Amino acid sequence: MENQNIPHVISHDEQAIVIKDLYKSFDDLEVLKGVNLTVDKGENVVVLGKSGSGKSVLIKIIVGLLKADRGEVTVLGQQVATLTDKELNALRLRVGFSFQSSALYDSMNIRQNLEFPLKMNRKTMSRREIIKAVDEVLEDVGLRDKMNQMPSDLSGGQRKRIGIARTLILRPEIMLYDEPTAGLDPITSYEINKLINEVQQLYNTSSIIITHDLTCAKETADRVAMFVEGRFTRIGKFEEVFNTDDEQVRSFYNYNFIQ
Amino acid sequence: MNNSPNKRAVIVGLFVFLGLIFLVVGILIIGNLHETFKNKTEVVTLFDDVSGLKVGNNIWFSGVKIGSISNLHFYAQNKVKVGMKIEDSALPYIRKDAFVKLSTDGLIGNKILIIYGGTPLSPQIDGGDTLRVEKTFSSDDMINMLQENNKNLLAITTDFKLISNKLAAGEGTIGKLFNDNTVYNHLDSATLALQHASAQAQQLIGSLATFSKGLNKKGTLANELTTDTIVFNSLKTSVSKLQLMADNANVLVNNLKEAGTNPKSPIGVMLHDEETGTRLKQTIKNLEAGSLKLDEDLKAAQHNFLLKGYFKKKAKEKADTIPDASTNH
Amino acid sequence: MINIRTKKYVISKVLDAFFISVNRAYLFVIQFFKQVLVPPFHFSEIVNQCFEIGLRALSLITLTGFIIGIVFTKQSRPSLEDFGATSWLPSLIGIAIVKALGPLVTALICAGKVGSGIGAELGSMRVTEQIDAMEVSAINPFKYLVVTRVTATMITIPILSFYCIVVGLLGSYVNVRAEEATSFIAFFQSAFSTLHFLDLSTSVVKALIFGFTIGIVGSYKGFYATKGTQGVGKAANQAVVMAMFLIFIEEVVIVQVSNWIRYF
Repeated sequence: MENQNIPHVISHDEQAIVIKDLYKSFDDLEVLKGVNLTVDKGENVVVLGKSGSGKSVLIKIIVGLLKADRGEVTVLGQQVATLTDKELNALRLRVGFSFQSSALYDSMNIRQNLEFPLKMNRKTMSRREIIKAVDEVLEDVGLRDKMNQMPSDLSGGQRKRIGIARTLILRPEIMLYDEPTAGLDPITSYEINKLINEVQQLYNTSSIIITHDLTCAKETADRVAMFVEGRFTRIGKFEEVFNTDDEQVRSFYNYNFIQ
Repeated sequence: MNNSPNKRAVIVGLFVFLGLIFLVVGILIIGNLHETFKNKTEVVTLFDDVSGLKVGNNIWFSGVKIGSISNLHFYAQNKVKVGMKIEDSALPYIRKDAFVKLSTDGLIGNKILIIYGGTPLSPQIDGGDTLRVEKTFSSDDMINMLQENNKNLLAITTDFKLISNKLAAGEGTIGKLFNDNTVYNHLDSATLALQHASAQAQQLIGSLATFSKGLNKKGTLANELTTDTIVFNSLKTSVSKLQLMADNANVLVNNLKEAGTNPKSPIGVMLHDEETGTRLKQTIKNLEAGSLKLDEDLKAAQHNFLLKGYFKKKAKEKADTIPDASTNH
Repeated sequence: MINIRTKKYVISKVLDAFFISVNRAYLFVIQFFKQVLVPPFHFSEIVNQCFEIGLRALSLITLTGFIIGIVFTKQSRPSLEDFGATSWLPSLIGIAIVKALGPLVTALICAGKVGSGIGAELGSMRVTEQIDAMEVSAINPFKYLVVTRVTATMITIPILSFYCIVVGLLGSYVNVRAEEATSFIAFFQSAFSTLHFLDLSTSVVKALIFGFTIGIVGSYKGFYATKGTQGVGKAANQAVVMAMFLIFIEEVVIVQVSNWIRYF
């Protein structure tokens, strides 16, 4: 609680994402009640919290999929709420978003899934360049042999990787992961965590990773933010956050490891 | 705090919804609405039998729809009071003494009321006026009338049948004329005889002309003979008379020819008269008798001693050819 | 307590929800017209969708059109026989099929087949976050998914309805041929003799509007599908019900308007 209002000097060069006093409610349900968060460049921030507590809402506001009721979101120096559609789309190209359900296009095969954002956004790219980019990014996620399969033929972990690859193909500066390890077995989860770290190094991205998986948080986080009842209760290094007497944080920690 | 955008959405939604409802309902009823906007005046009429006329049926005047039936009520014993709404624009043309009758729109269409008649001297109708009804033809009446027509037609055709039968049987003057071949034959032979006569007359005239030329030559016996002017004059008149006769004969032949081909000519018409018919027949018979006699004379000529040799020779030649033909077999 | 309640809802909870959805649908339609004429047009996707829609509905329309032609002819014959007017059958069938049955039957079949398909497809894309995925990769999902599909239905359904008219008339011809031995040319000549340009153009406009309705209702229901697999089924189902309902209302309105034009 006491960490809620950390004073920040906003410097556009240093900080990828700055969130100030964010409020959002759906009908009667208040989801965000004054959220503050800063993500520095090249930093992985893990947002930990219970499922259905509204963590996903936060990153959807960051890319402009949802609109906040109050508060400010600044991404790469631009205030999301004030942007025109065109500016917002330009910003979105710099922000990758990995969905919980991977959100691969069912009607297209893997190659077409990866080509689609390029064809739509990089009109000047030649066919050869597109093929080269697809090959490269598939190499990075280690799934080059699946190029001509349909999304329904892949396992959950593979779909996740392709989902990440599809955002990476646009060379984003920020990556937002929504529950990257949800519904995956521990080994696959481990591979995904590894991939997240590799992406950070390879592409030099700043990331927000939303998860309820402590293992994931531990392995990927530079900093962890505990999300409880619409606010960040604790933000800091993984060990710092859980080195506390706070009832809710402790119970969260315990439940996770009993599981 | 999320009340204000919601409120706006609800209100806009409400207006859009109401707008659509008004649009659809408006389109559906406005088709009849422009009728409603026209000013109308109600007049009434009394019928014995409206034969299925309904409220809403059209009213026509000179073939133009000018209104509709607004109500139907029983009025008195065997009477139906029909209320009609008529457009005001048509009122000036409908007079108080106009009539109303029932009709149908097409052969099997709806019932309609037709307003007709009325004299220009009579004032125009006003609201509440009662228009008169003339005895109308219901479809039953029409069928009755058709029955009557059929009877008449039957009678007419039977008469015609009788006449044509008679014609075919050769009864009556026309029938006789149509069917009697002898009349035609008679006419034909008479024409031939006349033609013959006129030809001969022409020949006679020709020879007379040569003869008179010879008379003009001096020194001949004939010349001397004709220097007597009295004889010459009498000869001259007889020649011109002969010419006249020949001309008349020619005309007669032509006329008869025409009459034979054209039954509508004056002679044709004359032939229709029974009396003239018989008389003509008689004349033709006479002519025929005349020509027969001429024939007899010719035969007599054959037996003349001068020509006897020639005819005998001809008969012999004929007799010779026949056995020749038989021997060929 | 009462005071809070009246403040919370403008009219009542149910009515509020209804009018909010009307507003959302209205904005959806407006957005379609705003975007349909602005590039990029995604022509290849439109062609894809046309092909998909046409193929999906073709067999059913062939069967239904043919049967309607036969049945309608069979059912009308006794009435015309009473007047000794069976020679009017082709004209009657021509009017019925070209002016009313062709577009209507096509639209109803497509509402069932195509409308539900679009509803389910977009619904599942919404539920599995594919629509969001497009949006975050700076692709306008409305343009790529909705505008292309609605355009495709607006192209395909007039074509299909003309196909249905032709097949329906052929079905009718088969029956007329069997009973009255009318020749092919005589049948079609008399079928089209009573039809005017206005009838045909009304038919086209009708099919165009039906196509728009099927496409936009299917897209709307799919685009705003609620989460979960149930939401997808609901979207598909509602797309059919709503589209059919609107088609009938439009049919009545268009007939009325075309009659105005006819008697203008």
